[in-house]
Amino acid sequence: MPNIKLQSCDNEVFTIDYEVAKCSTTIKTMVDDLGLEEGDDEVVPLPNVNSSILRKVIQWATYHKDDPAVPEEEENKEKRTDDISSWDSDFLKVDQGTLFELILAANYLDIKGLLDVTCKTVANMIKGKTPEEIRKTFNIKNDFTPEEEEQIRRENEWCEDK
Amino acid sequence: MRESPQNVTAMKQSYIQLSRPFSEDEALINKKLPKELFLRIFSYLDVVSLCRCAQVSKSWNLLALDGSNWQRIDLFNFQTDVKGPVIENLSKRCGGFLRKLSLRGCQSIGDASMKTLASYCNNVEEINLNGCKEITDNTCQSLNRYCHKLLRLDITSCSSITDLSLRALSEGCPSITHINISWCNNITDAGIEALAHGCRKIKSFIAKGVIQITDRAISCLAQSCPDLETLILHGCTNLEDKAVISLAENCKNLQYLCLSGCNRLTDASLIILAQQCHQLSTLEVAGCSQFTDAGFQALSRNCRYLEKMDLEECVLITDSTLIHLAVGCPRLEKLSLSHCELITDDGIRHLGTSPCASEHLTVLELDNCPLITDTSLEHLIHCHNLQRIELYDCQLITRTGIRRLRNHLPNIKVHAYFAPITPPPSAVNSRQRYCRCCVIL
Repeated sequence: MPNIKLQSCDNEVFTIDYEVAKCSTTIKTMVDDLGLEEGDDEVVPLPNVNSSILRKVIQWATYHKDDPAVPEEEENKEKRTDDISSWDSDFLKVDQGTLFELILAANYLDIKGLLDVTCKTVANMIKGKTPEEIRKTFNIKNDFTPEEEEQIRRENEWCEDK
Repeated sequence: MRESPQNVTAMKQSYIQLSRPFSEDEALINKKLPKELFLRIFSYLDVVSLCRCAQVSKSWNLLALDGSNWQRIDLFNFQTDVKGPVIENLSKRCGGFLRKLSLRGCQSIGDASMKTLASYCNNVEEINLNGCKEITDNTCQSLNRYCHKLLRLDITSCSSITDLSLRALSEGCPSITHINISWCNNITDAGIEALAHGCRKIKSFIAKGVIQITDRAISCLAQSCPDLETLILHGCTNLEDKAVISLAENCKNLQYLCLSGCNRLTDASLIILAQQCHQLSTLEVAGCSQFTDAGFQALSRNCRYLEKMDLEECVLITDSTLIHLAVGCPRLEKLSLSHCELITDDGIRHLGTSPCASEHLTVLELDNCPLITDTSLEHLIHCHNLQRIELYDCQLITRTGIRRLRNHLPNIKVHAYFAPITPPPSAVNSRQRYCRCCVIL
């Protein structure tokens, strides 16, 4: 199996199996465009990902390298969030900073499976909570005036159980 | 709330190019994630969660009310609460973003709300108004005026709807491909003819219990809409063979046809379908009591792709039909023979040893087939995919027979009922209604 070298923004170099790396569409495209071949000493620079996040991403990609391609979502299909595997769920038991950086890395590296599962995880942190509980969860400041808050509460009360 | 030291460090280490300044106490999630990723997260949220996100803060309010979150709305879960003002708010919130809306069961929705919605949401492609009993022809007038991109409309049980609605749709919504007008009892041939002339792309036409429909409407539909794939005319009791002949001659792509309860039809209908509609995969003809073995023989010989067949109460059919199905329809996966009282073990033997049986057959309904015995169950032991079998009121089936079947097919759901032979008078209340081997859904 040919290996490939990835360099994080803080200059750490990771040598990994190309089969693992190519689950990132961004890396795959770069390799194809650069025409890298086995034995080349070229390093693929990833200026948007730091080493601790890249290590996590590689861990995820290694576990999922044999997954079947994610099918394109059907336009009309309800999106589920209760279908996260137990491995992924354990893998994503991280602090919020790491979780958001994984989302950014998955987006930049174009790894659909990782992007889906991280976004679902954040969605699950929101679901079922009141506005105040959401603020607490993410440490968000309520910047509405009391009048604004009351008006917005009224605009949105139709969806609450009576 | 102040940032924790850990979060400040994380922020300093962040590799993100921040494009706008943030105050010290800005939440991490707001600092890290750009709008498009927020919207991606929000795309997993339901309406309730979105409405709550809108109340969190000013920036979250803008994100939660972004039109891209409001392309597909299903208010079925809120049917009791959904009143006019809700629809008005929603219409403004969704605007041109709304593609798909379900108001199924929202009984208090009326024409005024629908007019507001139609005027704000011009790009809507799919509307489900199933059970919105308040709406009248005025709603379809609004759709006619504003919603020219409509593709799918369900107005099941909107009982005030008349031919005027269909005329309005035919003029204003020519792209419609799927329409369901079930139980709109005021609709007549004239309305359906108008619809067919304007909406020639219809692929799916569902009209259960629209009792005034006659051959005239169906012939017109068949001639105007050659792309018809799904046609459900359950309980349209006026239909005769002429309607089916016209369908078969014009709509070669027909895949799903339901004529259950159309008891004036004869074998002539089955024979013309056999000759013309080779793509048929589902045929429901429950209660078509004039159909005989001859009709099903023709069908079996020509329609190899049949997967689901409902022949309940086709009382004239015999084992001969099963013999032909066994040979001609290798993909058969669901077969109902309820109340087909002439079926015997011999017919089931042919079915059980056919190519379809071991490969595809998953559901077999034999309830009220009084001649069936345990021998039939033995013929089915090689149907490895059989998941459910109905045996209610098969008087000759015994618990032992069912147990033997279960030995071969341990996961099968068997629906049967055994009355106690002599109920002990002392135990009337506590008697077991179902035998142990039955699984009741």
